[in-house]
Amino acid sequence: MNEQVERIISAGIDIGTSTTKLVISELSLRNVAGGGQVPKIEITDKEILYRSPIFRTPLVSETVIDIPAVQRMVESEYQKAGITIENIQTGAVIITGETATKQNAEEMVYRLSKAAGEFLVAAAGPDLEGIIAAKGSGAYQHSIKTRKTVANIDIGGGTANIAVYHSGMLCGTCTLHIGGRLVEWEGAKAKVAPSIGKWLKSIGRSPLNGEGAIIANEMAKVLSRFLAGSFTKEDELLLVGKEPSWTERIDVLMFSGGVSDCIYHEEREDESFRDIGMMLAASIKESEELAAWEWEQPVETVRATVLGAGAHTTEISGATIEVNDSHLPVRNIPVYRVDFHGGLDDVTAKMTQAVQEAITIYDALQEGLNFAFYLTNLPYQSFRDIHRLAVAFTEALKKKPNRQQPLIIVMDSDYGKALGQTILANQPDLPVICIDQTEVEHGDYLDIGRLLRTGVVPVVVKTLTFHS
Amino acid sequence: MGMNNKEDLDAMIAKTPARIGVGRSGTRPKTDSWLKFRFDHAAAVDAVYGEVSDILLKRLDLFKVKTKADDKEVYLRRPDYGRKLSDEAKRVIDAKCIKAPTVQIIISDGLSAKAIEENVEDVYLSFKQSLAVAGLDTGTPFYIEKGRVAVMDDIGEILGPEVIVLLIGERPGLVSAESLSAYICYKPRLGTIEAERMVISNIHKGGIPPVEAGAHLGTVIQKILKYQASGMSLVKKEHEEEKREKLG
Repeated sequence: MNEQVERIISAGIDIGTSTTKLVISELSLRNVAGGGQVPKIEITDKEILYRSPIFRTPLVSETVIDIPAVQRMVESEYQKAGITIENIQTGAVIITGETATKQNAEEMVYRLSKAAGEFLVAAAGPDLEGIIAAKGSGAYQHSIKTRKTVANIDIGGGTANIAVYHSGMLCGTCTLHIGGRLVEWEGAKAKVAPSIGKWLKSIGRSPLNGEGAIIANEMAKVLSRFLAGSFTKEDELLLVGKEPSWTERIDVLMFSGGVSDCIYHEEREDESFRDIGMMLAASIKESEELAAWEWEQPVETVRATVLGAGAHTTEISGATIEVNDSHLPVRNIPVYRVDFHGGLDDVTAKMTQAVQEAITIYDALQEGLNFAFYLTNLPYQSFRDIHRLAVAFTEALKKKPNRQQPLIIVMDSDYGKALGQTILANQPDLPVICIDQTEVEHGDYLDIGRLLRTGVVPVVVKTLTFHS
Repeated sequence: MGMNNKEDLDAMIAKTPARIGVGRSGTRPKTDSWLKFRFDHAAAVDAVYGEVSDILLKRLDLFKVKTKADDKEVYLRRPDYGRKLSDEAKRVIDAKCIKAPTVQIIISDGLSAKAIEENVEDVYLSFKQSLAVAGLDTGTPFYIEKGRVAVMDDIGEILGPEVIVLLIGERPGLVSAESLSAYICYKPRLGTIEAERMVISNIHKGGIPPVEAGAHLGTVIQKILKYQASGMSLVKKEHEEEKREKLG
């Protein structure tokens, strides 16, 4: 019904191993359905309102982030951008690279969401970082536009996060200990990050002997072998976590992150970064192995991750949903997937089992931790079917320890309002958040923001699994 | 685009129910596509000439009245007859129905009896539930045979409801012959102009799911009652309120 545009402000904050940056963007929501149709709200435009300078990440010591300093930085940047905390309706704080493992990261996120905005979700972890960077760099869009398999390689201070997309579908991710600050020089002295110590030993190189460029060359070679899927046992010493999870042949390479800035742009003499970054950029640029792939310029280099966090993490739910706004926003809700395989047989038994299993997995100590149900492959639903499903839900929920908390349901099909309303008709006092036309996976984490004027909610899905 | 990129073609086919990428044999369509086309056309014709069964009307507890179009051919040639209730229909409605309800639901075959047979039950039950959840009262529902959208004006005159919702079969197409529309109007009367009516269309198994459309209708009705307007008047009032809010 509502033809007008609704604009929401989204913030992205990226706190990395070496740098911290912030981006404010404006997302335009519009009803894209024709007149006489049930509304369909989509994000039709993204505009960047403000890009912060690149700050050095403030640290109290090697492993502790200086939270008050980050808070002050955010406050002053908001002021420069001309916005207040109340303006921020969605977005993400991402703590990347080694910083994510630093001891006060969790407290940081908690304190920041207070200082930076109510619905700012926290995201961390190398897989997610690669995914977010691929969205910010434009690699994801490029894969949709060209239907090619595009690898985005986001190289920061400590790690290279690779995410591979084909036609907009995530094929897989991989993270390597390849970064611009893994070796730093101070005069004749060199400091090597412990994460690459073993590997350096195995290739018999040391930054002390003026071998920086050789080390950078070796890193570029390891990178190309991981991209080609021909990595050796020795190369695996640089692997963070699991092996590459894609099986597709990569067509296009795109580089983002701090090091990429030196790949695509003219070299700059920067006194504050006396590290292997420049050499690594040069090695990548000149690598014969990497030249075998098609290269594509990113739309953002050093700010890819922050842009991805700020402008590309928010999705919009279906327009016909049933949500109890007083229970929103909800954050970090784990997803339990219920696959109906196109049938509603034994739906009561199925839901009872689903609720019990979800409690076992996500609320093992019966503390009343909440989770969301993701209903997928639902068959066509008649009113009678919806009723059966709603009853099955309310019956099964009697097993839930904390029944005050909202029942959160997400589905890919378009039955959100009908199911939510039917549950409410059966049990008027139950807080229900039932959203549709949103795809998530088992084990994803979900954040749902407050109801917008257009009748939709912003949703941020933190994917940890892959479509294959 | 050549046929060598099957992935591209499949992606396009997945995006539309239109008959694209069906190939050809010489200058003619392939037998499969041709039969499918003939079948869909026949289904459209059947939808127009079909009747809504008494079994369904009984199940939904609806009584039946007629318009001035007493024959299908007349109905098709004279849309104006389908917009007027027969004299008997007026008498029956006056005698049987609750007067001045908040919401009056009516159902008509329109141009697709098949749409009513296949989809009206789910829309209707889901809609009634959404009104109940919202605490809104409804009048006595009934079925109008061979009706057109503006027949709601006659009913507005007799019953005086706040809002009328008419669930009516759409003109069938080759993609679906079972599509249903919900036409909604705030206080329809003789002389109501078309701009005051609203529609939610494309309600069928391959479009907006009927149960979801029914649930959504409840929200639309609440908005209409809040602004005491429908159609363009509703849009105008909403805009005015938004402006006032912005001015603070």
